[in-house]
Amino acid sequence: MLYQPIDAVATAPRQPVRLTVMQGQARVSGDPRVELTTVLGSCIACCLFDPTSNVGGMNHFLLAEPTNGRGVDEHYGAYLMEVLINEMLAYGASRMALRAHLYGGANMHSGMTRIGSANAAFAVDFLEQERIPLVRSSLGGVLARRADFRPAHGQARFRFVDETFAPQPAPVPAASRGDVELF
Amino acid sequence: MMTSPNAATRILTVDDSATMRSLLRHALQSQGFEVAQAEDGVAALDWLASNDCDVIITDINMPRMDGFGLIERVRAGGPHVHRPILVLSTEFSDEKKARARSAGATGWIVKPFDAEKLAAAVRRVTH
Repeated sequence: MLYQPIDAVATAPRQPVRLTVMQGQARVSGDPRVELTTVLGSCIACCLFDPTSNVGGMNHFLLAEPTNGRGVDEHYGAYLMEVLINEMLAYGASRMALRAHLYGGANMHSGMTRIGSANAAFAVDFLEQERIPLVRSSLGGVLARRADFRPAHGQARFRFVDETFAPQPAPVPAASRGDVELF
Repeated sequence: MMTSPNAATRILTVDDSATMRSLLRHALQSQGFEVAQAEDGVAALDWLASNDCDVIITDINMPRMDGFGLIERVRAGGPHVHRPILVLSTEFSDEKKARARSAGATGWIVKPFDAEKLAAAVRRVTH
């Protein structure tokens, strides 16, 4: 499931709720108990926060690798950023008030395409084009990261982790890409 | 000199994301289409007041006037009332599709889009 609403998480009052954001997902919440977490290798996690509504969310994406001499395919990243923004707005966030954190984009294996750098460049460019201020980031390098984000508070933290904790990059799902339905 | 079969087709794309507008412009122009762009429903109606196109491709979630509002306004009357309107959205619920169809949309395309599928859809609704 791409987008998972998390209002209905069954838990005791005030007990922290830790939810993992997998590659290809976007999760949004205004619940102060919720902490979103993910482990990143070459992938990017964008955390968005609206301080006027105390709503936040995180996505986790990986762009498709270049093929046939073309650049990276930015469609999937743009799509998952739009999914996150739309869900933020559905939760009452204001587009103009959004603030962003970015994490990930490591190039963990020498000799491979520097897909981590391409992911990071895309994410930074996206925020600039959409005029969403980037307030904090940790991008690039060669180490995997764990990123934790409290969406209702806009508080993020990260730490470097052993690459064995980072998920293997999975192919971008393309089964339903661009499906057309004429009425 | 060869001329693209899409060269005479002018498309108005409506999307509040600058990134998505850039991706759409590149994809459609590379298929030979002429492209005009607006950032929301209000800007699209402003453009349509003094310009014409062969097909409109619109996002749903936009500030000021969303895609549903734009479809309803175009279908309410005027010179563009019969223009094909394709929705291009991250949304894919049956409820949203039914609402778009009821408002007068011609079709629904799910993001992330594929340039060739998008071009084929444009050709189908304009020929």
